Amino acid sequence: MWVKLVLLLLFCLMILGAAHFAQPRESETAGSAVKVGTSLRLLTWNIGYAELEDDTRAHDKDLPAVADVILRQDPDAVALQEMTGNSQLNILLGLLHGKYRGAIAQQGKGDRFEAVLVKDARAKFFPIALGASYAVGASFQPREDKEEVLLLSAHADAFNAAHRRTYTEALVDWAQARAQSAEVFIAGDFNFELKAANQTNLYTDNLKHDSESYSHILRNFRDLGRGGGDTAINDRRIDYIFGPSAFEQLGRVEVLRDAAVGRMDHWPLLVEVGL
Amino acid sequence: MLTLVKLELEKLLRAKSFYLSFVVLIGFVALMLWGFYTYAARKTGGQAVEQFKYTYESKQYFNGLTFALYSLLFSFTLLLPIFVSMSAGSQIAGEARAGTLRMICTRPISRSSLILSKFLVTAFHAGLLLAFFIALNLIVGLIFVGWGNLELYPGPLNLVDAPGKIMRDDALMRFGYAVLSGTWALLVIAAIALLCSVVFDSPAQAIVMTIAVYLALYIIGRVEFFEHLQPYFFTTDMDFWRDVFKPEIPWQSLWHYACLCGAYTTGLLLVTVVIFERKDIVT
Repeated sequence: MWVKLVLLLLFCLMILGAAHFAQPRESETAGSAVKVGTSLRLLTWNIGYAELEDDTRAHDKDLPAVADVILRQDPDAVALQEMTGNSQLNILLGLLHGKYRGAIAQQGKGDRFEAVLVKDARAKFFPIALGASYAVGASFQPREDKEEVLLLSAHADAFNAAHRRTYTEALVDWAQARAQSAEVFIAGDFNFELKAANQTNLYTDNLKHDSESYSHILRNFRDLGRGGGDTAINDRRIDYIFGPSAFEQLGRVEVLRDAAVGRMDHWPLLVEVGL
Repeated sequence: MLTLVKLELEKLLRAKSFYLSFVVLIGFVALMLWGFYTYAARKTGGQAVEQFKYTYESKQYFNGLTFALYSLLFSFTLLLPIFVSMSAGSQIAGEARAGTLRMICTRPISRSSLILSKFLVTAFHAGLLLAFFIALNLIVGLIFVGWGNLELYPGPLNLVDAPGKIMRDDALMRFGYAVLSGTWALLVIAAIALLCSVVFDSPAQAIVMTIAVYLALYIIGRVEFFEHLQPYFFTTDMDFWRDVFKPEIPWQSLWHYACLCGAYTTGLLLVTVVIFERKDIVT
Protein backbone atom coordinates (compact mmCIF):
# COMPACT_ATOMS: atom_id res chain seq x y z
CA MET A 1 0.00 0.00 0.00
CA TRP A 2 2.78 2.43 0.96
CA VAL A 3 4.41 2.04 -2.45
CA LYS A 4 1.20 3.12 -4.15
CA LEU A 5 0.80 6.06 -1.80
CA VAL A 6 4.39 7.19 -2.36
CA LEU A 7 3.95 6.89 -6.14
CA LEU A 8 0.68 8.80 -6.00
CA LEU A 9 2.27 11.52 -3.89
CA LEU A 10 5.25 11.75 -6.26
CA PHE A 11 2.91 11.87 -9.25
CA CYS A 12 0.98 14.79 -7.71
CA LEU A 13 4.22 16.56 -6.80
CA MET A 14 5.48 16.21 -10.37
CA ILE A 15 2.26 17.60 -11.81
CA LEU A 16 2.42 20.54 -9.39
CA GLY A 17 6.09 21.06 -10.22
CA ALA A 18 5.35 21.05 -13.95
CA ALA A 19 2.60 23.63 -13.45
CA HIS A 20 4.82 25.74 -11.21
CA PHE A 21 7.71 25.84 -13.68
CA ALA A 22 5.54 26.24 -16.79
CA GLN A 23 6.67 29.12 -18.98
CA PRO A 24 4.27 32.04 -19.11
CA ARG A 25 2.27 32.21 -22.33
CA GLU A 26 3.71 34.27 -25.15
CA SER A 27 1.16 37.04 -24.67
CA GLU A 28 2.19 37.38 -21.01
CA THR A 29 5.91 37.59 -21.79
CA ALA A 30 5.74 39.84 -24.80
CA GLY A 31 6.19 43.24 -23.32
CA SER A 32 5.73 46.43 -25.23
CA ALA A 33 8.60 47.32 -27.55
CA VAL A 34 11.38 49.42 -26.07
CA LYS A 35 10.86 53.03 -27.03
CA VAL A 36 13.80 54.38 -28.95
CA GLY A 37 14.54 58.06 -29.42
CA THR A 38 15.51 58.91 -32.97
CA SER A 39 14.77 55.74 -34.81
CA LEU A 40 15.39 54.05 -38.12
CA ARG A 41 12.55 51.86 -39.33
CA LEU A 42 13.30 49.12 -41.86
CA LEU A 43 11.02 46.63 -43.54
CA THR A 44 11.83 43.56 -45.60
CA TRP A 45 9.28 41.53 -47.55
CA ASN A 46 9.44 38.80 -50.14
CA ILE A 47 6.24 39.58 -52.02
CA GLY A 48 6.42 36.51 -54.28
CA TYR A 49 4.01 33.60 -54.21
CA ALA A 50 4.25 30.09 -52.82
CA GLU A 51 5.84 27.39 -54.97
CA LEU A 52 2.53 25.87 -56.04
CA GLU A 53 1.63 28.82 -58.25
CA ASP A 54 2.43 29.04 -62.00
CA ASP A 55 4.23 32.34 -61.55
CA THR A 56 5.79 32.60 -58.11
CA ARG A 57 7.01 36.16 -58.61
CA ALA A 58 5.14 39.17 -57.23
CA HIS A 59 1.79 39.86 -58.90
CA ASP A 60 0.79 43.34 -60.07
CA LYS A 61 -2.66 42.97 -58.56
CA ASP A 62 -1.11 42.72 -55.07
CA LEU A 63 0.89 45.94 -55.36
CA PRO A 64 -1.85 48.21 -53.92
CA ALA A 65 -1.89 46.02 -50.81
CA VAL A 66 1.93 46.12 -50.62
CA ALA A 67 1.89 49.90 -50.98
CA ASP A 68 -0.80 50.16 -48.33
CA VAL A 69 1.33 48.22 -45.82
CA ILE A 70 4.36 50.39 -46.58
CA LEU A 71 2.40 53.61 -46.21
CA ARG A 72 0.78 52.47 -42.97
CA GLN A 73 4.04 51.30 -41.38
CA ASP A 74 6.00 54.25 -42.76
CA PRO A 75 9.48 52.64 -42.80
CA ASP A 76 12.54 54.74 -43.71
CA ALA A 77 13.64 52.05 -46.17
CA VAL A 78 12.19 48.87 -47.60
CA ALA A 79 13.86 45.76 -49.04
CA LEU A 80 11.64 43.78 -51.41
CA GLN A 81 12.29 40.47 -53.12
CA GLU A 82 10.87 38.47 -56.04
CA MET A 83 9.70 41.43 -58.12
CA THR A 84 9.29 40.95 -61.86
CA GLY A 85 11.29 43.98 -62.94
CA ASN A 86 11.45 47.73 -63.39
CA SER A 87 7.88 48.16 -64.59
CA GLN A 88 6.56 46.57 -61.42
CA LEU A 89 8.80 48.81 -59.32
CA ASN A 90 7.47 51.87 -61.14
CA ILE A 91 3.88 50.82 -60.48
CA LEU A 92 4.68 50.40 -56.80
CA LEU A 93 6.47 53.75 -56.57
CA GLY A 94 3.42 55.37 -58.16
CA LEU A 95 1.14 53.74 -55.60
CA LEU A 96 3.39 55.17 -52.88
CA HIS A 97 2.53 58.69 -54.15
CA GLY A 98 6.15 59.67 -54.72
CA LYS A 99 6.94 59.29 -51.03
CA TYR A 100 9.68 56.74 -51.82
CA ARG A 101 12.40 56.37 -54.41
CA GLY A 102 13.65 53.00 -55.44
CA ALA A 103 15.88 50.80 -57.54
CA ILE A 104 15.87 47.27 -58.74
CA ALA A 105 18.77 44.82 -58.88
CA GLN A 106 20.47 43.74 -62.07
CA GLN A 107 19.21 40.53 -63.60
CA GLY A 108 21.22 37.48 -62.67
CA LYS A 109 20.45 33.92 -63.71
CA GLY A 110 16.94 34.04 -62.31
CA ASP A 111 13.73 35.72 -63.43
CA ARG A 112 13.13 37.75 -60.27
CA PHE A 113 14.65 40.86 -58.80
CA GLU A 114 15.38 42.40 -55.44
CA ALA A 115 14.42 46.03 -54.92
CA VAL A 116 15.10 48.70 -52.38
CA LEU A 117 12.90 51.71 -51.58
CA VAL A 118 14.02 54.71 -49.54
CA LYS A 119 12.08 57.71 -48.24
CA ASP A 120 15.11 60.01 -48.39
CA ALA A 121 14.98 62.00 -51.67
CA ARG A 122 18.79 62.21 -51.77
CA ALA A 123 19.27 58.43 -51.54
CA LYS A 124 21.78 56.82 -53.87
CA PHE A 125 21.23 53.36 -55.30
CA PHE A 126 23.83 50.89 -56.47
CA PRO A 127 23.92 47.34 -57.83
CA ILE A 128 25.90 44.71 -55.96
CA ALA A 129 27.47 41.90 -57.97
CA LEU A 130 27.87 38.68 -55.98
CA GLY A 131 29.31 36.16 -58.40
CA ALA A 132 26.54 35.16 -60.78
CA SER A 133 23.87 36.75 -58.58
CA TYR A 134 23.03 40.31 -57.75
CA ALA A 135 21.67 42.29 -54.85
CA VAL A 136 20.81 45.95 -54.68
CA GLY A 137 21.71 48.60 -52.12
CA ALA A 138 20.82 52.13 -51.18
CA SER A 139 22.72 54.70 -49.16
CA PHE A 140 20.78 57.39 -47.39
CA GLN A 141 20.80 59.67 -44.40
CA PRO A 142 17.74 58.99 -42.26
CA ARG A 143 18.22 62.17 -40.20
CA GLU A 144 20.27 65.30 -40.91
CA ASP A 145 22.67 64.86 -38.01
CA LYS A 146 23.03 61.08 -38.29
CA GLU A 147 25.55 58.84 -40.00
CA GLU A 148 24.93 57.48 -43.47
CA VAL A 149 23.02 54.20 -43.64
CA LEU A 150 23.41 51.44 -46.24
CA LEU A 151 20.55 49.03 -46.77
CA LEU A 152 21.12 45.96 -48.92
CA SER A 153 18.23 43.93 -50.28
CA ALA A 154 19.22 40.32 -50.82
CA HIS A 155 17.64 37.03 -51.83
CA ALA A 156 19.59 33.80 -51.44
CA ASP A 157 18.91 30.63 -53.45
CA ALA A 158 15.80 28.79 -52.31
CA PHE A 159 16.89 25.33 -53.41
CA ASN A 160 20.61 24.96 -52.82
CA ALA A 161 22.22 25.49 -49.42
CA ALA A 162 25.76 25.55 -50.86
CA HIS A 163 24.76 28.37 -53.22
CA ARG A 164 23.20 30.23 -50.30
CA ARG A 165 26.49 29.90 -48.48
CA THR A 166 28.67 31.30 -51.25
CA TYR A 167 26.13 34.10 -51.86
CA THR A 168 26.08 35.00 -48.16
CA GLU A 169 29.88 34.96 -47.92
CA ALA A 170 30.17 37.37 -50.85
CA LEU A 171 27.42 39.61 -49.51
CA VAL A 172 28.97 39.82 -46.04
CA ASP A 173 32.39 40.54 -47.55
CA TRP A 174 30.86 43.38 -49.55
CA ALA A 175 29.03 44.76 -46.51
CA GLN A 176 32.02 44.43 -44.21
CA ALA A 177 34.18 46.45 -46.57
CA ARG A 178 31.74 49.36 -46.18
CA ALA A 179 30.95 48.99 -42.50
CA GLN A 180 33.68 51.43 -41.47
CA SER A 181 32.15 54.38 -43.28
CA ALA A 182 28.43 53.71 -42.84
CA GLU A 183 25.90 51.82 -40.76
CA VAL A 184 25.23 48.74 -42.88
CA PHE A 185 21.98 46.78 -42.75
CA ILE A 186 21.34 43.61 -44.75
CA ALA A 187 17.73 42.66 -45.30
CA GLY A 188 16.09 39.95 -47.30
CA ASP A 189 15.03 36.38 -47.79
CA PHE A 190 17.99 34.09 -47.06
CA ASN A 191 16.05 30.80 -47.03
CA PHE A 192 18.15 29.43 -44.15
CA GLU A 193 16.74 26.17 -42.83
CA LEU A 194 18.10 26.13 -39.32
CA LYS A 195 15.54 24.01 -37.54
CA ALA A 196 17.12 20.60 -37.22
CA ALA A 197 13.74 19.17 -36.30
CA ASN A 198 12.61 19.87 -39.86
CA GLN A 199 15.35 17.70 -41.30
CA THR A 200 14.86 13.98 -41.63
CA ASN A 201 18.51 13.21 -40.92
CA LEU A 202 20.34 14.01 -37.72
CA TYR A 203 23.07 15.87 -39.55
CA THR A 204 22.90 17.03 -43.14
CA ASP A 205 25.19 19.01 -45.38
CA ASN A 206 22.35 21.41 -46.17
CA LEU A 207 21.76 22.12 -42.51
CA LYS A 208 25.46 22.65 -41.98
CA HIS A 209 25.77 25.03 -44.95
CA ASP A 210 22.90 27.14 -43.62
CA SER A 211 24.40 27.04 -40.15
CA GLU A 212 27.75 28.19 -41.54
CA SER A 213 26.07 31.00 -43.52
CA TYR A 214 24.00 32.28 -40.63
CA SER A 215 26.89 32.01 -38.16
CA HIS A 216 29.15 33.85 -40.59
CA ILE A 217 26.72 36.78 -40.79
CA LEU A 218 26.47 36.85 -36.99
CA ARG A 219 30.24 37.22 -36.68
CA ASN A 220 29.85 40.80 -37.86
CA PHE A 221 26.15 41.61 -37.72
CA ARG A 222 23.29 41.28 -35.32
CA ASP A 223 20.07 39.46 -36.22
CA LEU A 224 17.63 42.25 -35.44
CA GLY A 225 14.44 40.35 -36.27
CA ARG A 226 15.07 37.34 -34.05
CA GLY A 227 12.33 38.26 -31.61
CA GLY A 228 9.73 38.52 -34.35
CA GLY A 229 9.28 34.79 -34.94
CA ASP A 230 8.42 33.00 -38.17
CA THR A 231 8.30 35.08 -41.35
CA ALA A 232 6.94 32.52 -43.82
CA ILE A 233 4.39 29.74 -43.94
CA ASN A 234 5.27 26.31 -42.50
CA ASP A 235 6.79 27.93 -39.41
CA ARG A 236 9.88 29.15 -41.21
CA ARG A 237 11.97 32.13 -40.19
CA ILE A 238 13.78 32.81 -43.42
CA ASP A 239 13.53 36.60 -43.77
CA TYR A 240 16.06 38.59 -41.83
CA ILE A 241 17.27 42.08 -41.11
CA PHE A 242 20.87 42.14 -39.95
CA GLY A 243 22.38 45.30 -38.51
CA PRO A 244 25.65 46.45 -36.95
CA SER A 245 26.44 44.31 -33.90
CA ALA A 246 27.21 47.43 -31.88
CA PHE A 247 23.57 48.56 -32.05
CA GLU A 248 22.09 48.39 -28.60
CA GLN A 249 18.79 50.16 -28.98
CA LEU A 250 16.36 47.77 -30.58
CA GLY A 251 12.78 49.00 -30.63
CA ARG A 252 9.80 47.45 -32.34
CA VAL A 253 10.39 44.08 -33.99
CA GLU A 254 7.31 42.69 -35.64
CA VAL A 255 6.31 40.25 -38.32
CA LEU A 256 3.14 41.68 -39.87
CA ARG A 257 1.19 38.46 -40.19
CA ASP A 258 -2.00 40.02 -41.51
CA ALA A 259 -0.20 41.75 -44.39
CA ALA A 260 0.11 38.93 -46.94
CA VAL A 261 -2.42 38.92 -49.77
CA GLY A 262 -3.17 36.49 -52.59
CA ARG A 263 -0.91 33.44 -52.38
CA MET A 264 2.05 35.16 -50.77
CA ASP A 265 4.04 32.80 -48.54
CA HIS A 266 6.04 35.44 -46.64
CA TRP A 267 5.08 38.16 -44.21
CA PRO A 268 6.87 41.49 -43.91
CA LEU A 269 9.40 41.90 -41.12
CA LEU A 270 9.55 45.34 -39.55
CA VAL A 271 12.44 46.41 -37.33
CA GLU A 272 12.98 49.71 -35.55
CA VAL A 273 16.41 50.62 -34.19
CA GLY A 274 17.63 53.68 -32.29
CA LEU A 275 20.14 55.81 -34.09
CA MET B 1 13.08 -3.76 0.21
CA LEU B 2 16.88 -3.44 0.31
CA THR B 3 17.26 -7.22 0.07
CA LEU B 4 14.96 -7.24 -2.92
CA VAL B 5 16.98 -4.54 -4.66
CA LYS B 6 20.18 -6.46 -3.89
CA LEU B 7 18.73 -9.65 -5.36
CA GLU B 8 17.53 -7.85 -8.49
CA LEU B 9 20.93 -6.22 -8.85
CA GLU B 10 22.61 -9.62 -8.72
CA LYS B 11 20.26 -10.86 -11.44
CA LEU B 12 21.08 -7.85 -13.57
CA LEU B 13 24.83 -8.36 -13.19
CA ARG B 14 24.47 -12.01 -14.17
CA ALA B 15 22.50 -11.23 -17.33
CA LYS B 16 24.40 -11.35 -20.63
CA SER B 17 22.26 -8.56 -22.05
CA PHE B 18 23.66 -6.22 -19.39
CA TYR B 19 27.19 -6.60 -20.78
CA LEU B 20 25.95 -6.69 -24.37
CA SER B 21 24.60 -3.16 -23.99
CA PHE B 22 28.05 -1.88 -23.01
CA VAL B 23 29.74 -3.76 -25.84
CA VAL B 24 27.34 -2.26 -28.40
CA LEU B 25 27.98 1.22 -27.02
CA ILE B 26 31.74 0.69 -27.32
CA GLY B 27 31.19 -0.35 -30.95
CA PHE B 28 29.10 2.77 -31.55
CA VAL B 29 31.81 5.02 -30.11
CA ALA B 30 34.39 3.36 -32.36
CA LEU B 31 32.17 3.96 -35.39
CA MET B 32 31.56 7.57 -34.37
CA LEU B 33 35.28 8.10 -33.93
CA TRP B 34 36.00 6.80 -37.41
CA GLY B 35 33.26 8.98 -38.93
CA PHE B 36 34.24 12.07 -36.98
CA TYR B 37 37.92 11.63 -37.72
CA THR B 38 37.50 11.26 -41.47
CA TYR B 39 34.90 14.04 -41.61
CA ALA B 40 37.14 16.42 -39.66
CA ALA B 41 40.04 15.61 -41.99
CA ARG B 42 37.91 16.28 -45.06
CA LYS B 43 36.35 19.47 -43.76
CA THR B 44 39.57 21.08 -42.61
CA GLY B 45 41.41 19.97 -45.72
CA GLY B 46 42.01 21.63 -49.07
CA GLN B 47 38.77 20.88 -50.93
CA ALA B 48 36.48 22.41 -48.30
CA VAL B 49 38.62 25.53 -48.03
CA GLU B 50 38.57 25.96 -51.81
CA GLN B 51 34.80 25.76 -52.09
CA PHE B 52 33.90 28.14 -49.27
CA LYS B 53 35.85 31.03 -47.85
CA TYR B 54 34.60 30.90 -44.28
CA THR B 55 33.84 28.06 -41.94
CA TYR B 56 33.63 27.41 -38.23
CA GLU B 57 34.71 23.83 -38.77
CA SER B 58 38.31 24.49 -37.92
CA LYS B 59 40.74 22.20 -36.14
CA GLN B 60 39.80 24.00 -32.96
CA TYR B 61 36.12 23.13 -33.48
CA PHE B 62 36.77 19.41 -33.95
CA ASN B 63 37.81 18.54 -30.43
CA GLY B 64 37.05 15.82 -27.90
CA LEU B 65 34.13 17.70 -26.37
CA THR B 66 32.46 18.27 -29.74
CA PHE B 67 33.01 14.60 -30.53
CA ALA B 68 31.43 13.53 -27.22
CA LEU B 69 28.47 15.85 -27.72
CA TYR B 70 27.73 14.63 -31.25
CA SER B 71 28.12 11.02 -30.23
CA LEU B 72 25.84 11.46 -27.24
CA LEU B 73 23.12 13.34 -29.09
CA PHE B 74 23.10 10.92 -32.02
CA SER B 75 22.87 7.85 -29.80
CA PHE B 76 20.48 9.13 -27.18
CA THR B 77 17.48 9.27 -29.47
CA LEU B 78 17.62 5.82 -30.97
CA LEU B 79 20.26 3.65 -29.32
CA LEU B 80 19.98 4.10 -25.57
CA PRO B 81 16.17 3.71 -25.48
CA ILE B 82 16.59 0.22 -26.98
CA PHE B 83 18.81 -0.94 -24.12
CA VAL B 84 16.59 0.63 -21.49
CA SER B 85 13.56 -1.08 -23.07
CA MET B 86 15.44 -4.39 -23.08
CA SER B 87 16.39 -4.05 -19.45
CA ALA B 88 12.96 -2.97 -18.18
CA GLY B 89 10.89 -5.04 -20.60
CA SER B 90 12.40 -8.29 -19.46
CA GLN B 91 12.02 -7.61 -15.73
CA ILE B 92 8.58 -9.19 -15.11
CA ALA B 93 7.91 -10.85 -18.48
CA GLY B 94 11.36 -12.46 -18.28
CA GLU B 95 10.49 -14.02 -14.94
CA ALA B 96 7.16 -15.17 -16.37
CA ARG B 97 8.88 -16.71 -19.39
CA ALA B 98 11.45 -18.45 -17.15
CA GLY B 99 8.66 -19.75 -14.92
CA THR B 100 10.01 -18.06 -11.79
CA LEU B 101 7.38 -15.35 -11.38
CA ARG B 102 4.90 -17.49 -9.46
CA MET B 103 7.62 -18.68 -7.15
CA ILE B 104 8.78 -15.11 -6.46
CA CYS B 105 5.23 -14.03 -5.72
CA THR B 106 4.74 -16.78 -3.18
CA ARG B 107 7.47 -15.20 -1.05
CA PRO B 108 6.34 -12.89 1.76
CA ILE B 109 6.94 -9.72 -0.21
CA SER B 110 4.40 -7.36 -1.64
CA ARG B 111 4.02 -7.23 -5.41
CA SER B 112 4.37 -3.46 -5.33
CA SER B 113 7.76 -3.78 -3.60
CA LEU B 114 8.82 -6.23 -6.28
CA ILE B 115 7.87 -3.79 -9.04
CA LEU B 116 9.59 -0.94 -7.28
CA SER B 117 12.81 -2.89 -6.74
CA LYS B 118 12.85 -3.99 -10.38
CA PHE B 119 12.31 -0.42 -11.49
CA LEU B 120 15.12 0.86 -9.25
CA VAL B 121 17.50 -1.68 -10.74
CA THR B 122 16.44 -0.68 -14.26
CA ALA B 123 17.02 2.98 -13.36
CA PHE B 124 20.47 2.05 -12.06
CA HIS B 125 21.20 0.26 -15.34
CA ALA B 126 20.04 3.28 -17.39
CA GLY B 127 22.15 5.66 -15.30
CA LEU B 128 25.19 3.42 -15.44
CA LEU B 129 24.83 2.99 -19.19
CA LEU B 130 24.62 6.72 -19.77
CA ALA B 131 27.47 7.54 -17.37
CA PHE B 132 29.65 4.88 -19.00
CA PHE B 133 28.80 6.12 -22.50
CA ILE B 134 29.55 9.76 -21.67
CA ALA B 135 32.77 8.89 -19.85
CA LEU B 136 33.89 6.65 -22.73
CA ASN B 137 33.18 9.37 -25.29
CA LEU B 138 35.08 11.96 -23.28
CA ILE B 139 38.08 9.67 -22.76
CA VAL B 140 38.15 8.60 -26.42
CA GLY B 141 37.64 12.22 -27.49
CA LEU B 142 40.47 13.41 -25.27
CA ILE B 143 42.90 10.75 -26.45
CA PHE B 144 42.09 10.65 -30.16
CA VAL B 145 40.68 14.07 -31.01
CA GLY B 146 42.10 16.44 -28.42
CA TRP B 147 40.80 18.94 -25.90
CA GLY B 148 39.22 22.37 -26.30
CA ASN B 149 36.15 24.44 -25.63
CA LEU B 150 32.69 23.36 -26.72
CA GLU B 151 31.57 25.54 -29.61
CA LEU B 152 27.92 25.51 -30.59
CA TYR B 153 26.28 26.76 -33.77
CA PRO B 154 22.66 27.06 -34.85
CA GLY B 155 21.29 24.32 -37.05
CA PRO B 156 23.13 21.07 -36.42
CA LEU B 157 22.09 19.56 -33.08
CA ASN B 158 19.38 22.21 -32.76
CA LEU B 159 20.76 23.47 -29.47
CA VAL B 160 21.26 27.19 -29.98
CA ASP B 161 19.81 29.91 -32.20
CA ALA B 162 23.03 31.95 -32.22
CA PRO B 163 26.67 30.87 -32.09
CA GLY B 164 27.78 30.17 -28.54
CA LYS B 165 30.64 28.69 -26.58
CA ILE B 166 30.99 26.72 -23.35
CA MET B 167 34.43 26.77 -21.77
CA ARG B 168 36.14 23.43 -21.29
CA ASP B 169 35.68 22.99 -17.52
CA ASP B 170 32.09 24.17 -17.64
CA ALA B 171 31.43 21.87 -20.58
CA LEU B 172 32.74 18.90 -18.61
CA MET B 173 30.35 19.83 -15.82
CA ARG B 174 27.53 19.93 -18.38
CA PHE B 175 28.29 16.35 -19.39
CA GLY B 176 27.92 15.48 -15.71
CA TYR B 177 24.51 17.18 -15.66
CA ALA B 178 23.61 15.25 -18.81
CA VAL B 179 24.06 11.95 -16.93
CA LEU B 180 21.36 13.07 -14.50
CA SER B 181 18.97 14.72 -16.97
CA GLY B 182 19.42 11.96 -19.56
CA THR B 183 18.80 9.18 -17.04
CA TRP B 184 15.70 10.99 -15.77
CA ALA B 185 14.38 11.24 -19.34
CA LEU B 186 15.12 7.57 -20.05
CA LEU B 187 13.12 6.53 -16.99
CA VAL B 188 9.92 7.31 -18.91
CA ILE B 189 10.84 4.58 -21.37
CA ALA B 190 11.81 2.30 -18.51
CA ALA B 191 8.37 2.84 -16.94
CA ILE B 192 6.57 2.08 -20.22
CA ALA B 193 8.66 -1.06 -20.71
CA LEU B 194 7.93 -2.21 -17.17
CA LEU B 195 4.20 -1.70 -17.74
CA CYS B 196 4.44 -3.70 -20.98
CA SER B 197 6.41 -6.33 -19.10
CA VAL B 198 3.51 -6.75 -16.69
CA VAL B 199 0.85 -6.73 -19.39
CA PHE B 200 2.59 -9.15 -21.78
CA ASP B 201 4.00 -12.49 -20.74
CA SER B 202 6.72 -12.48 -23.35
CA PRO B 203 9.77 -10.21 -22.85
CA ALA B 204 10.18 -9.86 -26.63
CA GLN B 205 6.61 -8.62 -26.91
CA ALA B 206 7.14 -6.14 -24.07
CA ILE B 207 10.37 -4.79 -25.56
CA VAL B 208 9.03 -4.54 -29.11
CA MET B 209 5.84 -2.85 -27.92
CA THR B 210 7.83 -0.27 -25.92
CA ILE B 211 10.16 0.50 -28.81
CA ALA B 212 7.20 0.65 -31.19
CA VAL B 213 5.38 3.20 -29.03
CA TYR B 214 8.53 5.27 -28.59
CA LEU B 215 9.47 5.22 -32.27
CA ALA B 216 5.91 5.85 -33.44
CA LEU B 217 5.62 8.99 -31.30
CA TYR B 218 9.15 10.07 -32.17
CA ILE B 219 8.50 9.77 -35.91
CA ILE B 220 5.01 11.29 -35.77
CA GLY B 221 6.49 14.18 -33.77
CA ARG B 222 8.81 14.95 -36.67
CA VAL B 223 6.13 14.89 -39.36
CA GLU B 224 4.54 18.27 -39.85
CA PHE B 225 1.07 16.77 -40.35
CA PHE B 226 0.98 16.13 -36.62
CA GLU B 227 2.69 19.30 -35.50
CA HIS B 228 -0.22 20.30 -33.26
CA LEU B 229 -0.05 16.92 -31.47
CA GLN B 230 3.68 17.12 -30.78
CA PRO B 231 3.41 18.96 -27.42
CA TYR B 232 1.35 16.06 -26.03
CA PHE B 233 3.93 13.35 -26.74
CA PHE B 234 6.26 12.20 -23.97
CA THR B 235 8.99 12.01 -26.60
CA THR B 236 8.81 15.81 -26.90
CA ASP B 237 9.10 16.27 -23.14
CA MET B 238 12.04 13.85 -22.96
CA ASP B 239 14.08 16.21 -25.12
CA PHE B 240 14.61 18.50 -22.12
CA TRP B 241 17.77 16.62 -21.16
CA ARG B 242 19.70 18.36 -23.97
CA ASP B 243 19.08 21.79 -22.46
CA VAL B 244 22.09 21.29 -20.16
CA PHE B 245 24.28 21.83 -23.22
CA LYS B 246 22.91 25.29 -23.98
CA PRO B 247 25.33 28.10 -23.12
CA GLU B 248 22.70 29.51 -20.74
CA ILE B 249 20.77 26.62 -19.23
CA PRO B 250 17.04 27.46 -19.31
CA TRP B 251 16.43 26.22 -15.78
CA GLN B 252 12.73 26.99 -15.62
CA SER B 253 11.96 25.10 -18.80
CA LEU B 254 14.30 22.29 -17.75
CA TRP B 255 12.51 21.80 -14.40
CA HIS B 256 9.13 22.01 -16.13
CA TYR B 257 9.91 19.20 -18.55
CA ALA B 258 11.78 17.21 -15.89
CA CYS B 259 8.62 17.31 -13.76
CA LEU B 260 6.50 16.25 -16.74
CA CYS B 261 8.80 13.29 -17.34
CA GLY B 262 8.63 12.52 -13.61
CA ALA B 263 4.84 12.59 -13.81
CA TYR B 264 4.89 10.15 -16.74
CA THR B 265 7.28 7.85 -14.89
CA THR B 266 5.46 7.83 -11.54
CA GLY B 267 2.02 7.68 -13.19
CA LEU B 268 3.01 4.70 -15.33
CA LEU B 269 4.62 2.98 -12.33
CA LEU B 270 1.43 3.46 -10.34
CA VAL B 271 -0.61 1.88 -13.13
CA THR B 272 1.93 -0.95 -13.37
CA VAL B 273 1.68 -1.64 -9.64
CA VAL B 274 -2.13 -1.63 -9.73
CA ILE B 275 -2.26 -4.01 -12.72
CA PHE B 276 0.40 -6.32 -11.31
CA GLU B 277 -1.35 -6.56 -7.95
CA ARG B 278 -4.57 -7.68 -9.64
CA LYS B 279 -2.89 -9.94 -12.17
CA ASP B 280 -3.60 -13.64 -12.04
CA ILE B 281 -0.17 -15.20 -12.43
CA VAL B 282 -0.52 -18.51 -14.19
CA THR B 283 3.03 -19.03 -15.42
